[in-house]
Amino acid sequence: MKGLTKNLVLVLAIALVLAACKQPTQQINEAQAVIDEIAKAGADKYAAAEFKTLGDDMKAAQDEIAVQDKKFLKKFGTAKDMLAKVKTDAEALKAALPGKIEAAKNAAIAIQTEAKTAIDEAKALLEKAPKGKGTKKDIEALQADLAGAETAFAEIQTALDATDYLGAADKAKSVKEKAVAVADQVKAAIEKKKK
Amino acid sequence: MKKRTRKGRVLLLGLVLLSYACKTPPAPSEAAEAEALEQALWRAGASVFSPENYDLYKDGLKTAKENLAREKAKFGWFRNYGSIRSEFRDLLKKGTDLLQAIQNKKAVKSKALEEQSLSLKSRVERLKDMTLYFNESGAVRKNLSQAEIKLTQADLLIGKEQFEPVRDILQGCRLYVKQAEEAIASLLDRYLDKDQLEKWKRWADETIAESQKRAAVAILVNKLERKLILYRKGDVVASYDIGLGRFGLSDKLYSGDEATPEGRYQVIKKIPSSPFYKALLINYPNEEDKKAFALAKKNGRVPSQVGIGGSIEIHGGGKDSLTKGCVGLEDGDMDDVYRLAEVGTPVTIVGALSVENSILAEIKAFEKK
Repeated sequence: MKGLTKNLVLVLAIALVLAACKQPTQQINEAQAVIDEIAKAGADKYAAAEFKTLGDDMKAAQDEIAVQDKKFLKKFGTAKDMLAKVKTDAEALKAALPGKIEAAKNAAIAIQTEAKTAIDEAKALLEKAPKGKGTKKDIEALQADLAGAETAFAEIQTALDATDYLGAADKAKSVKEKAVAVADQVKAAIEKKKK
Repeated sequence: MKKRTRKGRVLLLGLVLLSYACKTPPAPSEAAEAEALEQALWRAGASVFSPENYDLYKDGLKTAKENLAREKAKFGWFRNYGSIRSEFRDLLKKGTDLLQAIQNKKAVKSKALEEQSLSLKSRVERLKDMTLYFNESGAVRKNLSQAEIKLTQADLLIGKEQFEPVRDILQGCRLYVKQAEEAIASLLDRYLDKDQLEKWKRWADETIAESQKRAAVAILVNKLERKLILYRKGDVVASYDIGLGRFGLSDKLYSGDEATPEGRYQVIKKIPSSPFYKALLINYPNEEDKKAFALAKKNGRVPSQVGIGGSIEIHGGGKDSLTKGCVGLEDGDMDDVYRLAEVGTPVTIVGALSVENSILAEIKAFEKK
């Protein structure tokens, strides 16, 4: 009887030790799931530095697990703590990400609006511009230039619809620059006509 | 008393030894620098420009940090960061060299893309000049505008060192430029045709010969060069810059096409006071024009209800090349031409006389690309 109890205690102790030696697979999967989710949501674009840190921390946790795995007496306590931090940080980034994306979207829309304003201004100037001797050819050329800007302007919305907010912002800046250049040239043609 | 004093001294000695043991050497500052350098490498795009060396650096950093952790775990008396410090310094040297190598790669990449962008800009500018020369203020000009917008976008990205998307953007720009070049080249297909050139040269030679033979004035208009040349007794008297119809480089076919006709004509009326200062009316359409019109009408190349047109003049009012098909001159130049020309003065209008024209050479260069 005494021998049986001893054996039971020994088996129980071994089982407990073995349980503590199990890889924290669930914690790995949980942390990775959140990282994958925010990666899909564009964290690498809109929160690149924070996303990079998460990746590094996840790798550090996985390295710690690999180190412990090689030992006879495995201790995954530290790895579990690391994974818990990764999961917490990933969830915090997940919560903050929509705000960052929204900010990028709003910034792109703001520049899109500026581009539209610049196009409208150039259009108004072209309508007023005198098409007489010495200016008619230039004005007609500038009208075609502005038509090109208007076609490119439509591509900004395409980028916004595809949630490429950074790309949309760059496109909008380029269109705005062209429209402003056209307006400046129209003003110069008008001045030339006055002289 | 002696016992207490001795105890106190032992205690004091123990405290001194303990404080010495607890006074730990500071961890090497190089560790934090190496971490910061890893961040700098990432920001510089190491994973794109030198992924293998970046991985090596990160592995080295990980090993060094593990060694540091092991050393830190030791009792203070036994800690020695000497080799750890060396390890981090070595890593910092490799990391700094790697960062420099990446900056150099980026500078080379940036320069290559900037050169491509500049080359495209130059082609766009030249094509824009040509659109003004050829009165092409439609689709070609619009394409060029879009090309310029793409170039601006490319420059923005090059400035931000985001090189990957630039390649596609420049390719998009090239497509617009190529379309523009093809459209302009198609305007001038006729001008590169050997037989057409021979025909024009024959007209010009016959006109000059006639001027010499009759000891009279003759007018030769070279559309591509935008020149009106006055001959008298076969010699050049003067040469003037001219404007043409909006689509002046095409051969006039029907009323309203705004092309300037090509052929052998003569002055049939002198108009001293016209809406365009002074004018010389020529006998367009001649028999060849009528034949061409009839054939084109038969083949459906002329809109229905449209006639062959007429009232083609050489007139003043400026050379801005937006006439309805007439040849335009500055008023002062028109005075000279009007004074020398008479009713019956030959007026020969040709497309070109030589393929040596610089614009034709550029067009030929488009087609070779």
